[in-house]
Amino acid sequence: MKKFLLLCLFIIGLGWAIATFPGLGASGTYDSIVLDFREDVGSTKIAQDINAIAQQYHLSAHLNSKFSTTDNVYIVKGDRDLLDSLKKSDIVKDTETIEPNYIYKVSEVPNDPLYNKQWNFRSINVENAWNETKGNGITVAVIDTGISQVPDLKETKFVPGYDFVNDRLEATDDNGHGTHVAGTIAQSTNNNFGVTGIANEANLMPLKVLSESGSGTVSDIAESIKFAADNGADIINMSLGGGGENHLMKEAIDYAHNKGVVIIAAAGNSGQNSSEYPARYPHVIGVSAFGPDGEKAPYSNYGAGVDIGAPGGSEAGKIIQNTIDPETGESVFEGYQGTSMAAPHVAGVAALIKASGVKNPDEILTVLQQSARVVQEDPLNHFGAGQLDAYAAVQLALKGQITFSDFFRWLRDNGYLNPRFWIDGGAIALLPKIAMVLGSYLLAWFLRNYFPFRWNWNLSWGLIAGSSGLFFLRGLYIFDLPQWPLRVMGSSIPELGGAIQGSSMLNPIFASVLIPFILIALFLGHKEWKWSAIGTCFGVASCLGVSAFLSPVVWGLGYGLPSQLFLIINALLCFGLAHLALKSEAKPI
Amino acid sequence: MSLTVTGIIERKGLGPGVWALISDSGETYELQKTPSELRKVGLKVTITGETRSDVMTFAMIGPVLEVHSFEVI
Repeated sequence: MKKFLLLCLFIIGLGWAIATFPGLGASGTYDSIVLDFREDVGSTKIAQDINAIAQQYHLSAHLNSKFSTTDNVYIVKGDRDLLDSLKKSDIVKDTETIEPNYIYKVSEVPNDPLYNKQWNFRSINVENAWNETKGNGITVAVIDTGISQVPDLKETKFVPGYDFVNDRLEATDDNGHGTHVAGTIAQSTNNNFGVTGIANEANLMPLKVLSESGSGTVSDIAESIKFAADNGADIINMSLGGGGENHLMKEAIDYAHNKGVVIIAAAGNSGQNSSEYPARYPHVIGVSAFGPDGEKAPYSNYGAGVDIGAPGGSEAGKIIQNTIDPETGESVFEGYQGTSMAAPHVAGVAALIKASGVKNPDEILTVLQQSARVVQEDPLNHFGAGQLDAYAAVQLALKGQITFSDFFRWLRDNGYLNPRFWIDGGAIALLPKIAMVLGSYLLAWFLRNYFPFRWNWNLSWGLIAGSSGLFFLRGLYIFDLPQWPLRVMGSSIPELGGAIQGSSMLNPIFASVLIPFILIALFLGHKEWKWSAIGTCFGVASCLGVSAFLSPVVWGLGYGLPSQLFLIINALLCFGLAHLALKSEAKPI
Repeated sequence: MSLTVTGIIERKGLGPGVWALISDSGETYELQKTPSELRKVGLKVTITGETRSDVMTFAMIGPVLEVHSFEVI
């Protein structure tokens, strides 16, 4: 009982914190105020009011434009103090509204002629981010096949790198991959030529570790990571992977991380559960890929080690940058696809975040994750915290630091908690689950008033199994292990039908009164197990009831009313079943 | 690790493209040091080579198989 009351207090506290958060309305900028006078006031009275403003505040209010006469819309220069003061004055009663004249910024559209083919940049909302920063002063190391200074990298800034394959200072590209990746990060932009890059004012550091054939040794890659950390790189992009765990590599990553470098790697292209090394290592941000439809690209790895999703292209739409033709070495605009293309999107945005003032690599990761667009249904962890959003990331970063309020706003806006704090990647719907558990307890509590019974553990387990399962397990992704056993343990009885395939649709056999009925029939005669069966009735009733309002999707019935009716009827049947069972079994205590 | 695998040669469109062997059991290997005779999509071959766990690639499609010898079937 005590635990139940504590849970109630927690929910009330959480609700209060969310409800009282001021929200985004307070964050717009304005330097003038709009006064919209009522039409029935008459021009003489309006003239008097305008005069009063002129005398009291020494400000002249003027019509917004010649089209404002009929609506009586006036503008006056001023800030929040004037706004508050006007709202308290007598003028209020003559107006319909007095409000800030918010300044709207037009997002920056670059003049690069092939920009219209870059669906991927619009998908990450980069135009709005460019209004704030283009990554000036940040250095991104590209550990890849090298970078050739193709025409659309002419205005891009470079810092010295190294060619670890041929042991020389000049790290030019003989494959095309590295130049393409570098283009996504910092292609010359607004130069009336070709395509654009995300952090186009950042510096590129070319580090060649992959040969012409596209492969390289772990020892070269580890050395290049240390080189980047020692030579002022802020961000490292590794669009490469494979092999096994390697001590040298892990050490190099820890070294760079300790020096404050953000390390980003592609999740891999074998379409399997779990990322490749180096995306797997701690302190490396693993990136999966999606196509123009926003769905995970067929080749992209997923599951453990995926922290965030970014555009990587698919057959339906590739990522276009300026690179070299490996056969001729000449400049081409080429469409590539792969998690190799997704990782540099995150590297570019990480550069924008760092340029906005967030320096610590762990905080940069938190900004990336908290600003990502949450994918509501992601039971297999295709996208980690969600899909990359450059503008949201820069906005969050510009606040300087992540405050408690930001955390609550994020929670409130999404209805999700990020289990990254305790497990790897992904998100689970927490609030509906709490509602389900709480609902089942309330139902049991309600019936207890009529049929007194002793609260016991068997009943509690029944309540949990029926309503929510050990739901936190669903957000766990463990390397190389299938996730379905965790999904099964983390599912309530009604959700079991879809748990193995990872579907969030309810199976009508599981999500009905059938299983509670079988349990009651089997165990009603048993002294202890009957309580589990009764608890299950309450739990399932609550789970179906909450699902009927939050996500009414049942196989064969679709989304909406038929599913809703099915769930409500079955919830009532479950409750009725518990009622009958208690009526026949409960004894006064 | 030395290995002999039989399968079909494929060209995977990742980056500028890579050569792959899809084994009869369905596993995808990324081929390295691929001789020009093997660079034919749909070719059925038995390849003897070495899987390299100390090598990383941009293709990331599966284990890296360095070709030592091969036989076209």
